[in-house]
Parts: sequence; C-alpha cells; structure tokens
Amino acid sequence: MAVLQEYKCPCCGGAIAFDSGAQKMVCPYCDTEFEMEVLAAYDTALKEEPTEEMNWENSGGSQWQEGEAEGLCTYVCKSCGGEIVAEETTAATACPYCGNPVVLMGRLAGSLKPDLVIPFKLDKKAAKAALKEHFSGKRLLPKIFKDENHIDEIKGIYVPFWLFDASADARIRYRAIRVRKWSDHHFDYTETSHFSVTRGGTLAFSNVPVDGSAKMTDDLMESIEPFDLSEAVDFQTAYLAGYLADKYDVDSEQSMQRANERIRKSTEDAFAATVQGYMTVMPEASGIRLQKGSVKYALLPVWLLNTSWNGQSYTFAMNGQTGKMVGDLPVDKAAYNRWLFGLTGAIGMVLYAASWLLWLL
Amino acid sequence: MIKKCTSILMLLLLCLTMALPVFAAKTGSRLVDNADYLTDAEEAVLRNQLDEISARQEMDVVVVTIPALYGEDITAFADDYYDENSYREDGILLLISDFDRQWAISTAGAAIPAFTDAGQEYLVSQFIDSLSDGQYSAAFETYAELCDEFLSQAKSGTPYDRGALPKEPFHAISSLLISFGIGLLAALITTGVMKGKLKTVHAQAAAAQYVQPGSLNITEARDMFLFRQVHRQKRETQKSGGSSTHMSSSGRSHGGSKGSF
Repeated sequence: MAVLQEYKCPCCGGAIAFDSGAQKMVCPYCDTEFEMEVLAAYDTALKEEPTEEMNWENSGGSQWQEGEAEGLCTYVCKSCGGEIVAEETTAATACPYCGNPVVLMGRLAGSLKPDLVIPFKLDKKAAKAALKEHFSGKRLLPKIFKDENHIDEIKGIYVPFWLFDASADARIRYRAIRVRKWSDHHFDYTETSHFSVTRGGTLAFSNVPVDGSAKMTDDLMESIEPFDLSEAVDFQTAYLAGYLADKYDVDSEQSMQRANERIRKSTEDAFAATVQGYMTVMPEASGIRLQKGSVKYALLPVWLLNTSWNGQSYTFAMNGQTGKMVGDLPVDKAAYNRWLFGLTGAIGMVLYAASWLLWLL
Repeated sequence: MIKKCTSILMLLLLCLTMALPVFAAKTGSRLVDNADYLTDAEEAVLRNQLDEISARQEMDVVVVTIPALYGEDITAFADDYYDENSYREDGILLLISDFDRQWAISTAGAAIPAFTDAGQEYLVSQFIDSLSDGQYSAAFETYAELCDEFLSQAKSGTPYDRGALPKEPFHAISSLLISFGIGLLAALITTGVMKGKLKTVHAQAAAAQYVQPGSLNITEARDMFLFRQVHRQKRETQKSGGSSTHMSSSGRSHGGSKGSF
C-alpha cells in the first residue's frame, strides 16, 4: 500500500487538490478539472497496486530526545524528496517544502477507513470573511483586538467524527399538577389536583455526531453543529487532497458516552413535551434504555483559525459546510464598566424623572 | 327631718356634679382637655388654631379628651357630646378617651360629606402614631391642619375620598434608590446579553436535531389522578367611597369612625 498519496495531474504532472467551489479536483497549474467519479476509479486502481511495506522511516531517531519523537512520524515527499514530519494522527497534510498536498494512506486504510465524508463547500476566503463577520456587532470586544487582529494560522481540516444511530426505549413517570381557580361571593378558591403521569415508548436518533479527535475540544466541535449529512458522500481519499485531515484517536466506545448523554436528554425532553395540560410537570422516575444502532466513521470539514492577543491564543472554528462560525472572544473590561455605569445612570435618571412626573400629575 | 332631707339632696347633687365632670366642661369650647394632655400654653395655641379654622371654614373643628368612658360607647358619646354642647350645625369632633385608649370622630351636617369614610381613615392615619406615642399636641395640630385642608377641598366640590386622597409627599430618597436599583438591574441584564454575544462556544446538551422525524412512538400513556386539595381565601371586599351615617340618641344624623391607639 502506498504510504503517501499525491494526486498527480494526468495532464501536466502537477499535484492536484480538491476545489470546494467546483466540487471537483482541479489542477492549480493547468486548470484542468477532474470529476470525482473518475477519481473513485482512480482510488480503486490505487488499491490494486502491489502492497508495500510501511516504509516510513524513523531514521532520525538518534537525533531526537527520548520521548520527543513519540507520536511523530516522518515521510518522504514523492515530489521533491523532502522530509515530512507529521503527527501520529495526521491523515492528510502538505509538504512543507514543495507545498504539494499529500494523503497518508496508511492512516485511512482498513478499519481506519472512514465511511463518509462531507467535502468542503467553503474556502479559505469564506472563512476569513466569516471571522470578520464574527467580530462585528460585538460592543464589548476590545477595539484593539479587531484592529490589530491578524490570523496566525488558518487551516481547513477534516475532523474525524463518530456518527451514532440509536433507538431510545424510555419509560418516564412524572408528577403533574393542575390548578383551577374560581371565586364565589365570599371566597377565592384554588384547587390543586395531583396526577401521576407515565409515558413509555421509543424514539430513534440518527447520526448523532461526536468528535473523535482528542486535539479538538468537544464543546468547540459541538458548537459548529449541525452538519447536513444528506450531503455526505462515500469516502474517497481524493477529497482530502489540499486539506489537512486527522484520523480518530478517541475510539467509538469512548465517544459513545457523550452521544448517550445527549440522546438521553433529548429523549427526556421529547417525552416531557407529550405531557400536556398541566401547570407543572416534574419527572419522578426515568428509565431510558439505549439500543445500539450502527456507528459510522466520518470526516467532516472544519476551518480552524488561530489568533493571539495579549499573550493569549484564541481559536475559532467554522463549519466548512454551513459556514457557522464560533469562538470565544475577550471582554473589554473598561468598555463593560462604561456600559454598566452609563446604562445604570441613564435608566436610573429616566425612572427617577418619570416617578417624579407621575407624582406631580 | 327636713334639714336631713335637704342635706342628703345637697350631697346627691354634689355627687352628681362630681361624678360627671365631663359634662360640666365649658360649653361650646372647641378644645376640651379633660384628660389633661396639654399644657396651658399648648392649649392656648391649639384653641386659637381651632377657633381660627372654625371661623374661616364656618364649621366647628373640635377636640375633646376625657379620662374614661365608664362603659359608654365612644361613638354615641362623641355624637351626644357634639349635639349637647351647642356647636354649629356643621362640624367635626375628635374624641379621645385616655383610660380606654380609644378615639372617635363624629361629623355633623355639611361635615359628613366633607369627611368621607376613606377620608377619615386617611386623616387618622396621619396622626395616630403621634397619638400612640403620647405626642398629643403634635397629633391635634396635624388633625386641625388636615381638617382645614379637608374642608377647603370639600368646598371645591370634590371631597377627599377613595381614589382621591391627599397626595403623599414625594419620597425623594426611596424613589432615587428604587430608580437606580432598577437601572442597575436593567444594565446588568443588557451588559450580560452583550457579554453573552462574545461567548459562542457551548456544549450541546441535547441531540434534538438528530431525532428521526416521526420516530417518536408512545406506546404507554397514562394520566392517573391522585388527589385534590382545595384552598379557599376570604375575598377582600371592595370598599366604595362616600360617607356612612348613623343616628345619635337625639335622632340627629352623624358620620364618623372610631378605633384604638
């Protein structure tokens, strides 16, 4: 099996990459476009090539400090012969010397082969524009952050996700209260009726995503949801050309935990919504059994942007399919105080004047 | 024998006059301080004030204090006192019984509509604290001033009544504190929202968007009634405005109210 995969243009021999705009492979040198179907065949052809040893050389071992090389691997670029150092989880990257996109096939072979991929639909320019948009309309963002801001790094990365299908079998008991009020000539009456409400049934979930990369924080990845999985296609390595890609390092068993929490919560919500006509509904006992469905391994497109300000680094993530941009921003303390005291003063004065006018009337 | 009878009669007469010092007070006086609450100087000032108001408003404004009621009803006592002491047709009388710690107001003639039930409630609320604290001079002064105000208001055609009572003074400090307190709360909410816009990374609690449409299948739905509690509360009856009246023992119509202090 080939360790490194570069897609060479059959026309000019240049390294070709996936173009999110054209949704095709495009040669940056001669502008030739290639259909993905062609590359699917190309993929198959690649797999039929005689297997090779995994000949990535840990040749620099003696030069590395003890432990330093752990998790790092080196490859030789097929185009220029340069040495590519990659992390253990890297599945696609670019040669630092010639810039040619390379796919590390070993990371995506066998059981590591993803089932699905959502190709990038938005490019680097869109990510930059989205970041600008992300900064706008935020009054407490330090001005200097916006002005000085330069993007340290911007990378399009296929993040490994586990997609869980599951069926929840739930039986939940609630204590519900209904209140009726009426009056006669002398008294006001309040009648409180207590009910024991039980709901049982099933609810099915499909493609609940959990990110399978330890490098990516879960909340950042959950914040850019949802991905539209109807646009997912069968995985082909060619989609990875021109982007970075990681293989999973958190397995599906571990990730399932997180999916279960979310499924459990949604099941409770959905069942509680069926208890209607009461003033308060409190769950008393909840039994939810999750029946495992299938687990799919998918690579989903994410733009990651890094910037630093005041010695702190800020990471922004954009959904490479929908363009949803997230990332926490710093608070301008001086501006916050200005707004707080200014508003308190203004609202207080208006209310005081109004109460005085009301008294005069 | 005749001498003895005469002396017994004399004694009885003496007893009568001694036992009822209240009725022996100065007739027609607008300040009768039989409970001896006020010093002579205070009495003089208050009497002048009452006389001046009474003359100007053409209605009698009277203050009477007695040591005790000796079991009599305070309202009846006040009404009778007004009727029997040659006051004008129109007037108001405040009676205080020291021993019983009770007060009563009796109004007559044109003072009845001038001092409505709600008006009297307000009037008393303004001096009851001074009365309870033993500051009688201050209490009576407030009473006299307010009577003046009430009578002037009544002459304008709309006496103080429910929903149209004299204005409380403007509480500057408490209004200021409340206004800025609400201001701070509103500012905290607004800046909180502004701060919230800066934080866009949130873990998703649920997976509602991944529910397969139409997959919710409820197989068991039971709503079981357990028990019922009924709580009842007496209704606050809505008081209407105006003045209520009653008859005194002499058959004259009076308005008024009473209470303790």
